[in-house]
Amino acid sequence: MPEIIPTAPRRGLSLDLYAVGLALILALLVRFNIIPPVQW
Amino acid sequence: MATAAISSVGSETPVRRIVALIPGLLLLAAVGYAGKIIEHSIAVYTKANHITFPNIEYVLWAIVIGLMIANTTGVPRIFEAGVATYEFWLKAGIVLLGSRFLLGDVWHLGGISLILVAVALTLSLSFMHLLGRAFKLKPKLTSLLAIGSAICGVSAIIAAKPSIDADDEDASYAIAAILALGAISLFTFPLIGHSLHLSDKAYGLWTGLAVDNTAEATAAGALYSDAAGKVAVLAKTTRNALIGFVVLGYAIYWSSRGQAQAVSNKAAFLWKKFPRFVLGFLLISLLATVGVFSKPQLTSLANLSRWAFLLTFAGVGLRTNLRELGKQGWKPFAVGAIGEVFIALLTLGLVYGADRFLHL
Repeated sequence: MPEIIPTAPRRGLSLDLYAVGLALILALLVRFNIIPPVQW
Repeated sequence: MATAAISSVGSETPVRRIVALIPGLLLLAAVGYAGKIIEHSIAVYTKANHITFPNIEYVLWAIVIGLMIANTTGVPRIFEAGVATYEFWLKAGIVLLGSRFLLGDVWHLGGISLILVAVALTLSLSFMHLLGRAFKLKPKLTSLLAIGSAICGVSAIIAAKPSIDADDEDASYAIAAILALGAISLFTFPLIGHSLHLSDKAYGLWTGLAVDNTAEATAAGALYSDAAGKVAVLAKTTRNALIGFVVLGYAIYWSSRGQAQAVSNKAAFLWKKFPRFVLGFLLISLLATVGVFSKPQLTSLANLSRWAFLLTFAGVGLRTNLRELGKQGWKPFAVGAIGEVFIALLTLGLVYGADRFLHL
């Protein structure tokens, strides 16, 4: 059997919230010019 | 594998958990950046020597390097927890990508996606159940495969598993089949798209509608072009938003047969299963639409999204263990593969129709 263990749905939920939180914090930092322009 | 790594650090203190992520994060960054360097070096070399060579995006290099590591030396245990964060970076990247869409675009393309997703969902779920019956798969394994291939891959299977009281073994088989098929689609979709001369929008929409896992759909879109990647993410996000409705439908079906717990509060169930990053994506898109960000700031947000995706694509390669995927039974894989070909053809037809009649 493949070694993939499905985890509780709670993990998926908190992962989403953390990801949204990080993205919003980064958006705020960019909006108020707290971090320098990001290059690619 | 990756998910197991996350559970294994679950009982440790927050500081230890963060420290445990560092090696894997560095590996993701190194693999992704190596892909970027290879893309740049080839472009510089071919230009300097006047060689005509198609630009191969860093996405492909990052995935290939990851695949090579995962399937030769293997990913050492110390890196596993950090590599497992690729899904986190994917979601953060999608939210930040919201800055590149005006709400009007989201409404237009998202609306078209929603119509196509509804049609594709109904047909593909029915087709998968017919296939499962023909191959004599266990009914719940068929349900999981149908949810995984029609909606959004691994997350949908994980969300559905407790709701329909499916076995761990069934969920593992379904996840393995979906991951294997996702890896195949990464290499086949761009080739088919180019051979059919699909526009960026049509290809992106097709990828977002047909490729199961969000990471693979994003990568397959980005492999075609930046614009196609953007549309693929929007179409896939629309598909992800429907996860709750499909899982609810299956939960009601299995509970009516006395093989799963009844759903008492349907609205709460839908909210619990709704992917929150979709709301984050819409919020950032709204802020960009009302002019909260200047043009250079929008460029910075788009670039931050690209960096987050770079980590994701490295993770896609690093977590794909072809030997593990090969160990699954051939039946779930065959049902998944036939279903995927059906869904790919169906959605391609739908996208052609939408391009012609709804003007993408």
